[in-house]
Parts: sequence; structure tokens; C-alpha cells
Amino acid sequence: MIKAENVVKIFNSRSGEVRAVDGVSTEVARGEVVVVIGPSGSGKSTFLRCINGLESFSEGHIVIDGVDLADKKTNINKVRAEVGMVFQQFNLFPHKTILENLTLAQCRVRKRSKKVANEKAQYLLKKVGIPEKANEYPSRLSGGQQQRVAIARALAMDPKVMLFDEPTSALDPEMVGEVLDVMKQLAQEGMTMIVVTHEMGFAREVADRVIFMDEGKVVEVGTPEHFFTNPQEERAKLFLKQVL
Amino acid sequence: MKARDKTWPWKLLLVAILLGVAAGTGVAVGKIDYKWRWYRVPQYFMYLAEDAQKIPFDGTVGAIVKDKKNAKVTLISETSEKVVITVAADSLEVDEGEDLFDGDIVGFTKQWRLGPLMMGLWTTLWLSAISSVFALFLGLLTGIARVSKNITLRGLAMIYVECIRGTPLLVQIFIAYFFLGTVFNLSRNVCGIGALALFAGAYVAEIVRAGVQGIPKGQMEASRSLGMTAFQTMKDIILPQAFKKILPPLSGQFISLIKDSSLVSVIAITDLTKSGREIITSTFATFEVWIVVAAMYLLVTSVLSQLVYYMERRLAVSD
Repeated sequence: MIKAENVVKIFNSRSGEVRAVDGVSTEVARGEVVVVIGPSGSGKSTFLRCINGLESFSEGHIVIDGVDLADKKTNINKVRAEVGMVFQQFNLFPHKTILENLTLAQCRVRKRSKKVANEKAQYLLKKVGIPEKANEYPSRLSGGQQQRVAIARALAMDPKVMLFDEPTSALDPEMVGEVLDVMKQLAQEGMTMIVVTHEMGFAREVADRVIFMDEGKVVEVGTPEHFFTNPQEERAKLFLKQVL
Repeated sequence: MKARDKTWPWKLLLVAILLGVAAGTGVAVGKIDYKWRWYRVPQYFMYLAEDAQKIPFDGTVGAIVKDKKNAKVTLISETSEKVVITVAADSLEVDEGEDLFDGDIVGFTKQWRLGPLMMGLWTTLWLSAISSVFALFLGLLTGIARVSKNITLRGLAMIYVECIRGTPLLVQIFIAYFFLGTVFNLSRNVCGIGALALFAGAYVAEIVRAGVQGIPKGQMEASRSLGMTAFQTMKDIILPQAFKKILPPLSGQFISLIKDSSLVSVIAITDLTKSGREIITSTFATFEVWIVVAAMYLLVTSVLSQLVYYMERRLAVSD
């Protein structure tokens, strides 16, 4: 489904080059849930953003469903339509109602009729548990509700993969649960997901595989059981001691 | 500390200051030898025009039918041709049976017409309106070009903005009229509108640029991550949000444009300012006319800013 081969992302800053992502290779199968964890600045978000082209990478290949992002002929907009993304800061469109947030890209990109898009939107809002907010503006919703709308917005495009970039980090603690529940449900339905998160409970419960990154490199990969109970690498042990 | 809710002493002070300024001005004006002739001003807003109606041939006056306002005069030519002319009843200059020669005045028709001040105001309004539309488009394109990734576009936009902002509008109008107007054989109106639009466009571009850059980066990322193109994102996501934010400075710019349009009077476009100057040459009522002209500009600009205020409140529903 997704294949990353030796991906390198170099930022040029005043103090010289920073290798934010340094030779990451991994493969994600259809229906797999991969959780990426690691300390801040470890390049996990940057790697995630490379997968849908929000960051361009300097070297390597990312192949999604047979399409190579490194190929210049690749239409990035087509790839993005197949790759849903959920951001830390929700990034709902504040000038549009919840319903319009969900239907805009369906109409513009998928060329669906208003009616079909509306039905899809209503169905998804029900699925994430806030059908009654369809005609509100995002500013009227709580953080948790906004993030659930953001998930629904990404799902409305019928993506093959969903990327989550720290989806609960900007939420009040009491709202984290409702967002994680939606994500769990999604995982159970067989969605291919890559999740960058600090929610170790979620990783343990839902992930098929955990990738631990530090300083742009993949340090350790394994099943949650293996990773949380018996990590091999020193750096991973240290990290887990800090967060658990 | 308890909030003080007594505002009337301050309001009183405000009124006192305004009255003081007015009284001071009054005393100062009283010391110079100037005869105020306000009664001369109204006729330049509207006036009763009298048009002479003349007999188109040699002939005689036939029947005259009068009602309260008008008189219908039947004129008969030597070849028995009949023509009916309507004139104002109180301006009738002929009697029944009178012989007239071709071109003699039968009477006058009276009609209210807009005076030079109103015509000038109209010119100012349409000139500013057309310039505003062009300035908005130009500013929008330039503003977006300023934040574009393409170096050529960015360079062109920057040079345009810097050149326009670095030179006086008056000079630009002269260049537009005497240089470009001559080279490309343009009318004075085209030159005036062009100069105003180019000038305002540069400022609008900066406002648009600031507005676009003021929208959080996440909006662009969210929209692009859904597969929308850069153009769709600009049109559906960034610009609508930016527009709401830039409405106040944008309206300020258009109000400025209305005021700046007074400068086109230097290339003999008869706008409100030029009309004022022309009236002064025939009345010598310098003080009155300039005060009236200023008041008319003020009226237009305050109506516009009220309109924008109303729009701002309408657009605030999603906040």
C-alpha cells in the first residue's frame, strides 16, 4: 500500500543542514495501523507530511498504491485525494459550516453532485457522533468535536489511507477519549492508518505495529506488545521510561 | 476599582471644545473683509433652465390653449402647415393672431436641471467606481503574485508596487496623460482612470498580500491535503477568509481613492473639484464653494464607510 524507501528530508537552516528525516524505510500494508512515536523533533511529523506531499523530500522514494511521489510526472493532487490527513490544529475552514467543510472537496475534487456530497457528509457526521452540528460554524464546536469533524472531512474523500498528525495533542484531556474512540472504530473497520501520537494507550490497544523514531531515523520497529514490554534499543527504553 | 459610568461630563467637554473651535473660527473670519454669499450656492446644485422655443417658419399664431402651467400654441405657416408648441404659461410672448418671422421666440419651457456641482459629483463617483473595480482586480492579482512561488511573478509584482508607491500620484497622472496618453492616443478619462487604478492597485496589492499571509498555514495545508489545487484553495479557502480580514483597510483605500480622484482635475476632467474651481471663477464665492465641495466629499465617504461597517457585521456570522 505505502512503501517508503530511504526517505531523506533536509532543512537548510542558518546553522547548517538539518536532516529532519534521515533514511527512513518502511512498508505499510492495506488495513494496517501503524503508530509512529518518538520524542519531539524526531522527524515523525515531517515524515508523515512527506507521505502526502505537504513536505517535499530530498532523497528516496515514497510509493503509494503504485504511484511514486518522487516521480516528477506524478499529479500530487490526485495522490492527496486518496490520502486523508488529520492535523493537530484541526484546520477546519472557519468561514464554512460543518456541512460545507465536508462537502467542498467532494464537489471540487471528486466532482460529486451537491446532493450526493450532502448525503455522504450527513452519514459521516452521524458516524463521528455529531449529526446535529451540520449547520454550525466550526468556532461553535469544542476541540474534540472539531477534530471529529476534521476526521469526517478527510473520510468524505473515501481515502485509501488516513494520516493522523498528533490528532489529540491540542485537545483538553477530557476530549481526547472521544477522538480516540472514532479512530479506534476506524481501525476496526479496516482503514489503513499511520498515526503520529503521544497516546501510548492508543498505540498499545490499536496499533498493529509501532515505529519508534529519533533524530530522523527509525530506531525500533515492532508489535506494541514487543515494543512496550521488551524494547531492544537503549534510546527506546529511555523514552518509554520517561513517558510511561 | 469600580467602573465609572458617568460619561456626561466628558460629553459636555466635547461639545464645549467643538463650540470653542467654531466660535474661534467665527471670530477670526469676522476680522477679515469677506462677504458671505451662501445664497449663490444652491443654484449650482439644481437650477431651473429656460429654453427658448422658436417658430420654425414665417407664419401666424393660431389658437392658444392655456392651463395652469403650460400653454399650447398653434402656429400656422404661410402654406397652412400647423405646428403645436408647448411653453410655460407665464413665459408666453405672443398673442393669438400675431404675425411672426422664422426664429421669433414664442415662449420658454422651464425644466429643473442638475447644476455643475451635481454633475461634478457624478463624474467623481463613476470615475472612482470604475477605478476601484480595476484597482481591486489589479491589486488581487498583484497581491497573489507577491506571495507566489514563481520568482518572475514575484519580481514583477514587487517592481510595480515599489514604483507606484515611490512616486506621487500627481506626477503619475501627468505621466499617464502627457506621456502615455500622447503615445497611445488615449482620452483624458482613460488616462485618469488608468492612473487612479494603477495607484490604488499597488496599495490594494499590499493589503491583499498581508491578508493572504495572515491566514494560518494550516488552512492551505488542510485544503491541499484534500486534493484541492492551489487555485481552488485560493478561491474557496484563502481569499474568502482574507477578504473578511482586509475589508477595513480595503475600504479605507477606496475611500482614499475617492479623495485622490480630485487630482484628476489637473488634466481637465470636470470632477467635483474642478467644478468647484469653475464655479469660483464665476462667483468669487471661494469660501462657500470649497466648504460645500468638502462637505460633498465627506458625505460620499461617510456613506461608504457606513456601508462597509454594515458588511463587516454581516460577514462576522462565522466568528
